[in-house]
Amino acid sequence: MDLENTKAQMRKGILEYCILSVLSRNSCYASDIIKELKEAEVIVVEGTLYPLLTRQKNAGLLSYRWEESQQGPPRKYYELTDAGRTYLTDLDKSWKELVDSVNLIRTR
Amino acid sequence: MKITVSINLGGYSFNIDEDAYAELKNYLKNLELHFAGEESSSEILSDIETRMAELFRSKITSYKQVINIDDVHQAISIMGTPEDISDNDGPSARDKFSAPGYHRMYRDPDHRMIGGVCSGMAAYWDIDPLIVRVIFIALALGGGLGVLVYLILYIVIPEAKTTAQKIEMKGNPVNIHNIKDSVKKEFDSVRKNMKFR
Repeated sequence: MDLENTKAQMRKGILEYCILSVLSRNSCYASDIIKELKEAEVIVVEGTLYPLLTRQKNAGLLSYRWEESQQGPPRKYYELTDAGRTYLTDLDKSWKELVDSVNLIRTR
Repeated sequence: MKITVSINLGGYSFNIDEDAYAELKNYLKNLELHFAGEESSSEILSDIETRMAELFRSKITSYKQVINIDDVHQAISIMGTPEDISDNDGPSARDKFSAPGYHRMYRDPDHRMIGGVCSGMAAYWDIDPLIVRVIFIALALGGGLGVLVYLILYIVIPEAKTTAQKIEMKGNPVNIHNIKDSVKKEFDSVRKNMKFR
């Protein structure tokens, strides 16, 4: 078994949850989301983010608007939708349950 | 001194070294193949291009006006290769091409002398086209039969036009990996033939 691979799998599972959490605090650009996720070491490569952002947008959890930029083409500015907020609340609960379950198993 | 290419990446204009361009193009092509099965793949690719453009823009200063291959390698390691991004949730484009290699005979337009019949047959049997040509010439000299046989084969054997067909011609499975390799080889050979004066 490859440790790096297992770690990557764990991260992948929580990435969607983390994206929604970041956006629940502030609406922002994709590059801002990347910055936070990298600082928290949740993602290693940035490419992982984009398919997820698009999928969540298609599922109605996020929306974006185009923001004009002085320095070039317009950029996507993401925010959480109401459906996204509800979904996040459910995920918060699931996360807590998961942590409790794992701790239970680890400390038995 | 190097030749540079002028590109539009995510709406920004860059000058990029020729070899860096080839590397970048190959990478974007691989990503495209990776996301091919995915809904909204063009949107994902567009977002990735925009992000890479942001990364490149931070490299350009008044002292450094051209993107070089190190910049491209760095950007790729930041963004991740398709293997790094590999994603079990989305439909896998790999599954589309999982059929074992069909081995079909095609005429080979890339290695032809006249019609690609000999090179196509040689590719099918994995032998040197010269051997097939010698046989045809021998047949042609010995009574003209070779010419007739050649013409019939030319009509009957289809030309390998698409990359997938060219892969099948050699009997290799048509999957992402082989298509990637084929496209890269074609690109490289075009590049070699385009020597600017």
